[in-house]
Amino acid sequence: MEFSGLSIEIILNTLQVLLPLLIILVIGVIALEVGLYLFLARVIKTKYALPYTLLAPAFVALVVFMIYPLIFNVLLAFSNLERSTFACYSPVSLGTCELDHLYGLDYAIQNFSDVFFRVRDGEIVGWGRLLRTADSTFPVLLGRTAIWTITNVVFHFGIGMALAIIMNQKIRFKGIYRALIVIPWAIPSVIVGLTWRQEFHAQYGFVNVLIQALGGQPVSWLDEPTAAFIAVIFVNVWLGVPFYMIMLLGGMQSIPADYYEAANIDGASAWQRFNGITMPLLRPIIIPAVTLDVIWTFNKLDVIFLVTGGGPQESTNILVSALYNAAFGPAATTELGFAAAFSIIIFIILFIFALVWITTSGGLKEIYDR
Amino acid sequence: MSTQTAVTPAPTPTWSEGGFKRVRQLIAGVLAIGGLVLTLVNGFSIGYLIVGLWLALLVWKPLHGILVFYATISVYPVLRVISISLRPTDGLLSRSLDLIPPGATLNSFVELFEEEEFLRWIWNSAAITITVSTIGVVIAATGAYAFSRWRFPGRRPLLIFLLTTQMLPASMLLIPIYVIVAQLNLTNNVIGLVLAYTSTAVPFSIWILKGYYDTIPPDLEEAGMVDGCTRMEAFYRIILPLSTPALSIVFLFNFLASWSEFLVAKVILQANQVMTWPLGLNELIGTFNTDWGKYAAGSVFVTIPVLLLFLWQSKYLISGLTLGSVKG
Repeated sequence: MEFSGLSIEIILNTLQVLLPLLIILVIGVIALEVGLYLFLARVIKTKYALPYTLLAPAFVALVVFMIYPLIFNVLLAFSNLERSTFACYSPVSLGTCELDHLYGLDYAIQNFSDVFFRVRDGEIVGWGRLLRTADSTFPVLLGRTAIWTITNVVFHFGIGMALAIIMNQKIRFKGIYRALIVIPWAIPSVIVGLTWRQEFHAQYGFVNVLIQALGGQPVSWLDEPTAAFIAVIFVNVWLGVPFYMIMLLGGMQSIPADYYEAANIDGASAWQRFNGITMPLLRPIIIPAVTLDVIWTFNKLDVIFLVTGGGPQESTNILVSALYNAAFGPAATTELGFAAAFSIIIFIILFIFALVWITTSGGLKEIYDR
Repeated sequence: MSTQTAVTPAPTPTWSEGGFKRVRQLIAGVLAIGGLVLTLVNGFSIGYLIVGLWLALLVWKPLHGILVFYATISVYPVLRVISISLRPTDGLLSRSLDLIPPGATLNSFVELFEEEEFLRWIWNSAAITITVSTIGVVIAATGAYAFSRWRFPGRRPLLIFLLTTQMLPASMLLIPIYVIVAQLNLTNNVIGLVLAYTSTAVPFSIWILKGYYDTIPPDLEEAGMVDGCTRMEAFYRIILPLSTPALSIVFLFNFLASWSEFLVAKVILQANQVMTWPLGLNELIGTFNTDWGKYAAGSVFVTIPVLLLFLWQSKYLISGLTLGSVKG
């Protein structure tokens, strides 16, 4: 008996795979906690026996799922691992997977220099190609990432702030407006991406239908580099505004009304009240929200991948989508070692930026204080 | 909603003067009637009336005009997906903007279930998602408590590490995880995807739960311990029950994140034996063809429950987000 591809047998199959995993996990966690606690409390006699015990499962998970893969990623950057030497690459292969690659400093130098330079006969002849087209070089992608991040964050913040200010007035139907405006945030991003791609279709998408109804010329959104970049930015702005609106509105509603009354008595203008009361008091919300948004937007590749796939002619790729395309996309390079090196460089850029931004703005300071 | 604060006075003094208000009402009326007349003249094309009414609203009550405009931008694409899912097969490629298509039918939904393996995709997604969310909560619940209550050596570097994980580009973890999963021969297996998702779920869950535990005063456990509980009993009997909202938020966040995950799944599940719904819907959408209706139907089917869950829980979701990732 099978309906829509689902039968009792398939359900049982999945459970047979996943239930043992969960049971092993629970037993493992309990065994680890009991063993470690006895060891720490009876043998080492540390006063931190309990917190270390409580932390142990999470720590093991972090090591297994985060630290080990990250170290492995660095190792990959020191290797010549290629798709072709990756014996099990074929999607349907069933045998054990043998990795046939070597580690060496030479490979690391090669991989990292490939990110930046194109070398011919020992001489640098230009910027390295990260994807297929000659335009997909590091400085171009970095510049586009900067434009992408700044534009998105400015629009997110600007529109979110404007909406929050309006919603903070005495206005009717506030709950309804808020529920409607929050909707883009709640929709699975795959559906957002795929749906907008269809709606930017030159002929049948509603964007062009609407433009023509208003007397404009249709735009081939997905075939022209500039138009395509505007399209992906639009979709990402559409997605990101609700987060800011909710955060800022929540912040504004926690500002005591007395402050504004006092300012009113002193004859402050609307702008003075906004600049002198609202903005400073919202600072603890704005700084972390902007910090997070910059990191998220910098790393946001699903919108680009789903709406344009980085196209046309790789012209809408930012660093992270270029990395995904280089490692796994249709135009993937065969060299996973190179992709690993590329990923490390992207992370270093973001990390340095975040470090500078967080130390200068004082954002996220609270985590240490608690 | 209790403290109504006027950041900018709703109507500025000059605007609220009677004469000016009347002028605006007059203009609004003219615009609305203009829209109606244009609609009637142009053979009932409702667009003129809508634009006219909106302009009227913008002149009459500017704030509502702006909000209606933005709410429309937010909602219209969603309504349109619903509308496309109702289109009959021969009317799929239409340039119409109507929300209820002529000859509306549920045919696409029927085809989705009968011609595609939609339920199997949903089942795969659900099984993976529930496993990941459970693992995330179980592992993070006690770890976050340790971070919140003790100042043990190594706490600060670990917290900074957790924060740094938020900055990792998705592909940076995906490259090694892909190679590891392939080595373990777990591609095209739900376990491979569970492992990949858990890597992001755990740090995030710890982060949010720590933020929540921080808001619970330590006096509560101390009172319990005075009454004869051990520290662990205090945790299980006092803190965990109090943290039910946060635990469910963490579960929900992990659920929503892995429920609609696409890019990792595309890499790990390359053969078609195991598909999650994002992969399935992506296959359907290919280009503009008859499958568009099925895609739209699938989207509606998947989105409506998530949307309801989100709107119902939005207050808690948002406070969880603020507590966890923003206030630290």
